Amino acid sequence: MASFPKVKSVALRTISTPLILSAVLVVLALVTVAYGSRPFNQTMIDIFVRVILVTGLYIFVGNSGVLSFGHIGFTCMGAYAAAWLTMPPMMKELSFPGLPDWLKALQLPYGPGAVLAGIFAGVFALIFGRILMRLSGIAASIATFAMLAMINTIYANWESVTSATNSVVGIPIVRTIWPYLIGAIAAVFIAWAHAISRHGLALRAARDEPTAALASGIDIPRVRLVAFTLSGAVVGLGGALMAHSIGVVTPDTFYLGLTFITLSMLVVGGIGTLTGAVMGVVLLSLLIQGLRWLERGVPVGESTFALPGGLQEILLGVVMIVILARRPSGLFAREFVWPARLGARRRNSSAATRNVPAGDA
Amino acid sequence: MRQLEADNISVAFAGLKALSEARLSVTPGHVTGLIGPNGAGKTTLVNVLTGFQAPTEGAVKLDGESLVGLAPHQVRRRGVARTFQGGRLFRELPVIDNLEVTGVGLGLSRAAAVAEAQAMLDWVGIAPLADRIAGTLPYTDERRVAIGRALMGRPGYILLDEPAAGMSAPEAAELAALIRRIATELNCGVLLIEHNVGLVLETCDHIVVLDSGAVIEDGPPEQIRASETVRHAYMGTAADSTLPVLEVMQ
Ligand SMILES: Nc1ncnc2c1ncn2[C@@H]1O[C@H](COP(=O)(O)OP(=O)(O)O)[C@@H](O)[C@H]1O
Ligand SMILES: [Mg+2]
Repeated sequence: MASFPKVKSVALRTISTPLILSAVLVVLALVTVAYGSRPFNQTMIDIFVRVILVTGLYIFVGNSGVLSFGHIGFTCMGAYAAAWLTMPPMMKELSFPGLPDWLKALQLPYGPGAVLAGIFAGVFALIFGRILMRLSGIAASIATFAMLAMINTIYANWESVTSATNSVVGIPIVRTIWPYLIGAIAAVFIAWAHAISRHGLALRAARDEPTAALASGIDIPRVRLVAFTLSGAVVGLGGALMAHSIGVVTPDTFYLGLTFITLSMLVVGGIGTLTGAVMGVVLLSLLIQGLRWLERGVPVGESTFALPGGLQEILLGVVMIVILARRPSGLFAREFVWPARLGARRRNSSAATRNVPAGDA
Repeated sequence: MRQLEADNISVAFAGLKALSEARLSVTPGHVTGLIGPNGAGKTTLVNVLTGFQAPTEGAVKLDGESLVGLAPHQVRRRGVARTFQGGRLFRELPVIDNLEVTGVGLGLSRAAAVAEAQAMLDWVGIAPLADRIAGTLPYTDERRVAIGRALMGRPGYILLDEPAAGMSAPEAAELAALIRRIATELNCGVLLIEHNVGLVLETCDHIVVLDSGAVIEDGPPEQIRASETVRHAYMGTAADSTLPVLEVMQ
């Protein structure tokens, strides 16, 4: 029983999911470039940024089953780190006079800046996670919320390095869609690689049956910490790209509103699947966009049809409640996969030879 | 001497004494039976042996070394495995992944874990179930998967908490054969908790009888079969399920 072909089959069995999801994202980008107006281009960039955020959230929440209200704190850290790394030194002097001189003098291109910002957020996720991952259930969720509030308070008050509640302007704006597409696809593949890794498997086992996971030798706080750190890094990367997509940030850009919308998209899409994370963002974002468009008014013959203002939020809420009432585990409780020919072959191949399992503990 | 040993274990839950100075040992290659009425403290003893429950007094020793204070996953990594009353499979995962979880829990790469899981499914005789979602299995298969999962990494000891509960006689006999093979072919020390005393008398090399947290008898099957104390203990708490057991014993 050679192990190599078997392993290949774990990856092969599941690779169709990130491939299909990436294809969806690529098609959206191509359609945008081919037909899109400038506002539509911006809408699609927002969607890709949210795909990164929600996919990052899924890495921890989906696999561990522990709801986190705190991840947008890491997004905040990523966004400000991107500002520190990529703004022109002169503007940094105005917004962040308290930064160390070497950092003020540094001006990186947005790509490396975003990657470093993600790593920066990941390091903080590791630090916070060391404490938080010992908690479970409601206690853990409330603690993540406290962490969000803490990060927000620090960024809203540490005037010399964050400009406090003032808008930070001068972050290089990136309007082309490709970097966002690449970021979203990278997030999808990172989430997939984690899910099929030993850490992802152990974490899902601990989510289903924590007691049995312990009896299987799983160190639950540790596998949670791995996911939390990776997940913090991905939402940090998302924060950096978000900063480049809007050009202006304040601490409140990354607070309750964004926490609510990203969690909603994850839950409506399907909290337990990568497909749910990505498609939840795409579908809900398109719905929001459609409602906004209706609110602004659509010409129908001679007259214009328009939704009354504010109805958009209400309709969105109604749609979300209806979806959750009908499908409590979200729209996509199963992953997108190719038709399962491979699975059938596997089943036939398991011969009933009775050999003693090899290897000692 | 190589053995897993519960040395004078006492456990109190808010005043209730679940175990009082219980002693028991399991040795490689042998099946030790643990019987006793419901509430006798059998599961509590397994919990103590596997790090899920700290003893109020006493020590757990693995080959002479104390395990007290270790977390459950650390105890497992030292080769003391267990199953649970009622299976506790990872219900959303396929059967093969259930076994792989223990592999990765013990530090194997996913690659090595898959290979060993496949071999273990073959050995237990449930290879055709590899791709089934664990939550959809009938309970007889569930128990075998749970045993296969616990056997990953070839633990030195395995503690089985009522693996035959609810099985028909032929199903239980098949399971008993598997349990014997675990001891003889894998040279694993087995602790078997089981209500069907007939099955325990046939399967075990050594039997410990627990009543109200205390060991009331400890010896080879013949001794247990002949014991007045055991008979009395079962009479005293005669629940429906234990009455037919007495007939088996006589
Ligand atoms: N976590 C716990 N808290 C309080 N009492 C417990 C706990 N676990 C077990 N007990 C009590 O300890 C006694 C022994 O239980 P248990 O070990 O499950 O018995 P058995 O497995 O022999 O049926 C019972 O009276 C039970 O109610
Ligand atoms: Mg019990």
